[in-house]
Amino acid sequence: MAITRRDLILNIAKAGVPAAVAMSGAVKLAQAEEIPVPNTPVGLLYDASLCIGCKACEAACNEANNTPADISGDQLHQAPTDLNVFTRNIIKLYKPEDGSASSFVKRQCMQCLDPACAAGCPFQALYKDSESGVVKWDGGKCIGCRYCTISCPYSVPRFQWAGFNPVITKCELCSHRLAVGLKPGCTSVCPTGAVIFGPRTTILADAKQRIKKNPGRYYQDRVYGETDNGGTQALYLSRVPFEKLGLPEIGPESVPAKTLRWQKRIYSYFALPALLYVGLVGMIRKNLKGHEEEAHQLEKQTGLRAQL
Amino acid sequence: MSGEKTISATITNPPSKFESITIGKPVNKTRWQRAVPVYGVSVINPFFLVLIALVLLSLVLTVYREIVGLGPASGMNDMFGWGIWKTFNVVVLTAWGSGAFAVGVAAWVFGRKRLHSLMRMALLTSMLAYACGLCLLGVDVGRPWNFYWVIFPWNWNVHSPMAEIAICMSLYASIPLFLENIPPVLERLWHFDPRLRPGVELAERVLHKGFPVIIAAAYLLPAMHQSSLGALMLLAGQRVHPLWQTPFLPLLYVVAAAFMSFGCVAGTTMLCCLFWRRAMDMEVLNEAARITAWTIVGWMAIRLIDLLFRGSLVTAFHFDHYAGIFWTETALISYGGYLLFRSLRDRRTRSMYLGYAFSSLGGMLYRFSPTTLAYMPGPHAMYFPSTIELLIAIGFASAGIAAFLVMVKLFAILPAPAQEWRNMAAYFKLRKPYIGWTKYFNFGFFGDTEPTDSE
Repeated sequence: MAITRRDLILNIAKAGVPAAVAMSGAVKLAQAEEIPVPNTPVGLLYDASLCIGCKACEAACNEANNTPADISGDQLHQAPTDLNVFTRNIIKLYKPEDGSASSFVKRQCMQCLDPACAAGCPFQALYKDSESGVVKWDGGKCIGCRYCTISCPYSVPRFQWAGFNPVITKCELCSHRLAVGLKPGCTSVCPTGAVIFGPRTTILADAKQRIKKNPGRYYQDRVYGETDNGGTQALYLSRVPFEKLGLPEIGPESVPAKTLRWQKRIYSYFALPALLYVGLVGMIRKNLKGHEEEAHQLEKQTGLRAQL
Repeated sequence: MSGEKTISATITNPPSKFESITIGKPVNKTRWQRAVPVYGVSVINPFFLVLIALVLLSLVLTVYREIVGLGPASGMNDMFGWGIWKTFNVVVLTAWGSGAFAVGVAAWVFGRKRLHSLMRMALLTSMLAYACGLCLLGVDVGRPWNFYWVIFPWNWNVHSPMAEIAICMSLYASIPLFLENIPPVLERLWHFDPRLRPGVELAERVLHKGFPVIIAAAYLLPAMHQSSLGALMLLAGQRVHPLWQTPFLPLLYVVAAAFMSFGCVAGTTMLCCLFWRRAMDMEVLNEAARITAWTIVGWMAIRLIDLLFRGSLVTAFHFDHYAGIFWTETALISYGGYLLFRSLRDRRTRSMYLGYAFSSLGGMLYRFSPTTLAYMPGPHAMYFPSTIELLIAIGFASAGIAAFLVMVKLFAILPAPAQEWRNMAAYFKLRKPYIGWTKYFNFGFFGDTEPTDSE
C-alpha cells in the first residue's frame, strides 16, 4: 500500500503532537521561570514611618517631568486625589476610623522585576530597560489598548482620557535625570529622607538594616517588594499592614509568571499550533474530497449548479 | 429552464413536517439541499432604515469621540479602563459570532456532514461579527495609528494575550474568513452573466485548491484568539472575582464561544426560516441542537469541577451580587441546555429556539462578567457606559445586522430545499418578465439554473 501525501502529513501530525507536548513541557522545565534581570537595577526605598506627608515630592515630580500641576480640586492648589495623567507620584493618607495607627503612603510605579504591564503590552510599548530596570513607555509603539491599566496589580499606568492623541503616564523614575547624574525628583526634595534613591541592592540592605535596628517597628519586619510580585525596584517599609496602603499581598511569584504559565507553554516556539495546523490541513483535505463528490451528486440529482 | 416544464409559480413552501410515505424510512421533504437567496422582498423597509439611522448616528458620534477623546465620549475611567466596546462588542459578540469556527469544526473536522448546509450562515454571521468588532476596536484604542506594528513580528510581545488577539483576530478576519465568504459572491457572478462564467470557474478552481490550507487556518486562528480572550483576564489576577478567575478561563471561553455560536447560527437560521417562511430541515437542526446541548454539558462540567477544586464554589453562596450573576448565568445556560435536550424529544422548534436564546444569553453574560461585572479594580470603582458609548456600540452592532439583511437578499446564504431555487426562478419569470433584457442592472435576478458542462 503506497503512502499518499495525506497519509504522510497525518502520520507526521500523529507522531508530532505528543512530541510537541513533551517539548513544550521540557522547555518550561529548562527555563525554570527565568526572568531576565537588569544589569544595575535602581529603585526607591520609601519608609512610611518617616513620611510627614508634606507632598514636596508631588510638586518636585511634576517639575522634574515638566508636567502641569493637577489643580482640578479647587483650581488653586495641587491636590490630586489619585494618580492621574498629571500625577506620577502621590502621597495618600491611611487613617482608620477606629483611631488606630495611621500612615502616609507614597504611590508611584513599583518598577516590578517582572512587570505585568510589559508582559501584557502587545507591541512592547511598555518595556523594562535592560540597564536600570526602569519600566518605560514608548509612545511610538503604544496602540492605546489600556491593557496595562487592567493588568497592573498596583493600578499605576494611567491613560489620558481627554484629547485625540492620548498618552500613558507612569513614573519612569526620572530616567532623563538619571541620565545626567541627577536623582529622581521626589527623592531630591524629601525633607525627612522617607524616600531615598539608590541601586536596588543598596537600598534593600539599608531597609534590612533599619528592620534589624528597630525590631517590631515595621509590619511583619519585612520589606515589601523584596520578593513580592517577583520582586520590585520600589521598596516599602511600613508600620501598618501593606494591604491597607494599597499594596496587595501577591506572593513571591510575579503575576505574569503565575498566570501566563500555560499560555507560554502552549505557544512556546509555536510548536503545538503548527502541528495542529498540519493535522487540520490533512483532515480537511480528506473531508473536502468527499464533500465535493456529494455536491456534484446533488447537482446531477437536482439539476441545479453545485454549491460548495 | 430546459428541463423544468412544470414549474409551479407559487412562492409558498412545502409544509415543514416529516411525512412518512409508503415504505419504512420517513423521507425528509424539507431537506436543506442548497442555499437560496431571500427573494421577492425589498431590502429597504422601515426596520432597515432604523438600522441605517443608528449606523449613521454612531458614525457621527465616532467622529466626535475621535476629536474629544475617550473620556468625554465614554464612561470609562482610570479604574475601568475597558468599556463595552471591548468587553461586549469584541469579547462577547465575536464569541457569539464565531460560528464559522464552531460549526465549521463540527462539519469539517468531526464530519457532521449535514451541518454543511448551515455553513454559509455561519461564515456570514462570523464575518460580520468580526468586522464590526474589529472596526469598533479601532475606535476604542487610543492610538490606532500605531497598529501598523502588527506587520513587524520582531515587535510582537509573543506571550501577551493582547498581542495574540490583535494579530490573530485581524489576520483571521482579513484572510481565511474573508476567503471562505467568497464562494457565494462568485456564484452570484456566475449566474449574473454567462460571459463571466469562465473567469468565475477559474477563480473557483483556484479557491477550492487552496481551501484545505485556508479552512485549517480558519479553525486554528479562532481557537487561539477565542481562548486568548479569556487569557486576557488572567493577568488581572485578584481583581477578577474568584468565581471567574481560573487558569481554565481560556478553555471555558473557547467552549462557551462554541455553544454560543451554534446558538447564533442555528437560532438565526430558525428565525429567518420563520420570518421568510422557509422550510426547516429538522435533521440538521436536531443535529445542531444535540451538539450544542452536549457542548453545554461539557462546559458546565468543566466550570463546576474547576470551581469545586479551587474551592471557590463557597463564594457562590455569599449572596452578594457576584453570586447573583453567577447563578443567573448558570441558570440561563443550564435551562437553555435543558430546553435543547427537550426539543430533541418533543420535536418542538419553540423549545429549540428558546434553548438557543437562553444558552446564548447565559454565555454572553459569562463572557461579559470577568471583564466588567465581576471585575473589581478598587473599592469605589464604578463604570456605566455613557449614552454616546451605548449608541456607538448599538450602531456598530446594527451595521452587522443591516449588512446581514442585505447579504441574505443578494446572495445565496440561507439554506432551503432545492425546490426553493426553482420557485425563485419561477418567481422572477412571472413577476419580472422584463428581466431578460435588464438583468445587468437588476440585482434580484439569479438567471439560468442549468448546470454547466464544465463541472
